[in-house]
Amino acid sequence: MIAVETDFPQLPPALRASQPAERRGIRRDQVKLLVIDRKAEAVHHARFDRLGDMLSPGDLLVVNTSRVLPAGVRAVRASGQAIQLRPCVRRAGSWDALCVQPGPPFENIALAEGETLRIGEAVVTVAGRRTDIPLLWRLRLETADDLELILRHGEPIRYSYVPEPLPLDSYQTVYASHPGSAEAPSAGRPFSWELLAALRGRGVGLADVVLHTGLSSFQDDAFDAEHHLFEEWFEVSPETARAVNMAERVVAVGTTVVRALESAATWEGRVVPGRNWTRLSVGPERPPRAVDALITGLHEPQASHFDLLRAFVPEALLRRAYAEAVERGYLWHEFGDSALII
Amino acid sequence: MRSARCSPNHVRMNQLQGKIALITGASKGLGRAIALAFAREGAALALCARGEPALQAVASECRLLGVEVLAVPADIANPADRERLVSLTLARFGAVDVLVNNASTLGPTPLPLLVDTDPQAFEDVVRVNLTAPFLISRSLVGAMLLRGSGVVINVSSDAAVNGYPGWGGYSAAKAGLDGLTRVWAAELAGSGVTVVSVDPGDMDTEMHRAALPDDDPTALALPEYVAPAFVRLAAGGALPARLEARELLEQVAR
Repeated sequence: MIAVETDFPQLPPALRASQPAERRGIRRDQVKLLVIDRKAEAVHHARFDRLGDMLSPGDLLVVNTSRVLPAGVRAVRASGQAIQLRPCVRRAGSWDALCVQPGPPFENIALAEGETLRIGEAVVTVAGRRTDIPLLWRLRLETADDLELILRHGEPIRYSYVPEPLPLDSYQTVYASHPGSAEAPSAGRPFSWELLAALRGRGVGLADVVLHTGLSSFQDDAFDAEHHLFEEWFEVSPETARAVNMAERVVAVGTTVVRALESAATWEGRVVPGRNWTRLSVGPERPPRAVDALITGLHEPQASHFDLLRAFVPEALLRRAYAEAVERGYLWHEFGDSALII
Repeated sequence: MRSARCSPNHVRMNQLQGKIALITGASKGLGRAIALAFAREGAALALCARGEPALQAVASECRLLGVEVLAVPADIANPADRERLVSLTLARFGAVDVLVNNASTLGPTPLPLLVDTDPQAFEDVVRVNLTAPFLISRSLVGAMLLRGSGVVINVSSDAAVNGYPGWGGYSAAKAGLDGLTRVWAAELAGSGVTVVSVDPGDMDTEMHRAALPDDDPTALALPEYVAPAFVRLAAGGALPARLEARELLEQVAR
């Protein structure tokens, strides 16, 4: 566990995007694009729909097609207390889930081992806590079909900077096709099909992986700052592995794609097809081997996200880019602006 | 000679082997006939309808034909139900090759004149017959584009092009669906994803009996007779944006 330095300027609350671009009067592909050019050690400012100007024929964009679930699941304790369960790791018949208040500020609620909860008609038993991440409760489900439960009783996981619940559709990428993420793989959100088609027309390749995201926060600032790692499910197809191995430059759309491809990469950077759980942490100590460039949303420096970015960009340049983004009013988080590290 | 009452001989050709089809409004009428025809051709099916017992009955019939079936009781006018339908289908099958937007509603019967139409009833008809097919297509076309293949079949009606008294909301929504199909088709040309509107023609269905109780049902085609046209459409290939099932059936019979 690495504690992240927190000497960055505080992010002004007004820069936390509270709703998607389309509800701010612009298209999803018209968000700002912060371009971090590592070779030139320069920071440029562009718009997402001009991404093609920064890419070349032979580049391969790799997207995560995981579809976000309404993973804030309404449940009730035997006492009648309403709670929200946020499954972070889902396995057949069991969840490792956060238990929080059903509305803002979504603070953690402690459960008791052995107690039973109800999700609709379904009974859930609290088996204990995870030893490595004690805020996650190990829950036993009596049903095999947890997807039906989530889709019937869930709402999108929301943080307090999003004041109103938004439809699940607001969180989906235009290519979302494999249901399973607890939170939106939001780096790909700014892509429109119009932009993707234009990029393909210019000779930029498009490949896809699946990585089902867990939770980005355990609703406890001090705990979150400690970077607790947990496993996530990923799938890399033979077609994608082949495309990645042949590409001149691999541009990962989101840190989830980095995690998936790097989990499937051999030590010399060849990607082999596979599907599995991964606990890989890409960072300065384990730099990327298969991925060359990255498109990512903007997240607070304290977030574990930042450690991964340091694997791509020297810290001084990253700090400069972040400072410029704040100065120029870039919006942050899942509905915010975007960055290209090239 | 084949009369309109007979259904054609069903020789299983496995024309849809390996394909995954999502059919809305699959519990009765044309939707049920399409489901069975697709099952005979080997397609795996995701079926939805509001009424669960009738839906489960059709699902069982299809399973007897040896195909995998997911039955999702859902009201396509409801956003949460739509997401559940799309996500459960994608989670089970990984993809959708053929989407049949078949579910539709007449609104209240006997059919009122437009001037007598309840505003909420009009909106409900548009939501089911036009908005929901758009939104379900939108949820699935992205994945189809990524794979570079897929077929979306919108079930239209001659009410989309003719003004029959009493068919106001239905007619307007179906005309809208045809318009939507033309734009989809223009935008997706060359992408490998095909979107078509098909007018199945008059059939002896519960909906037809509710709309036109005085029609002689024995003079109408059974939905089973029309369903092979949908098999032809689902198999893909270049197609015009709007066509009549009659034309396709002639091709199929040839």
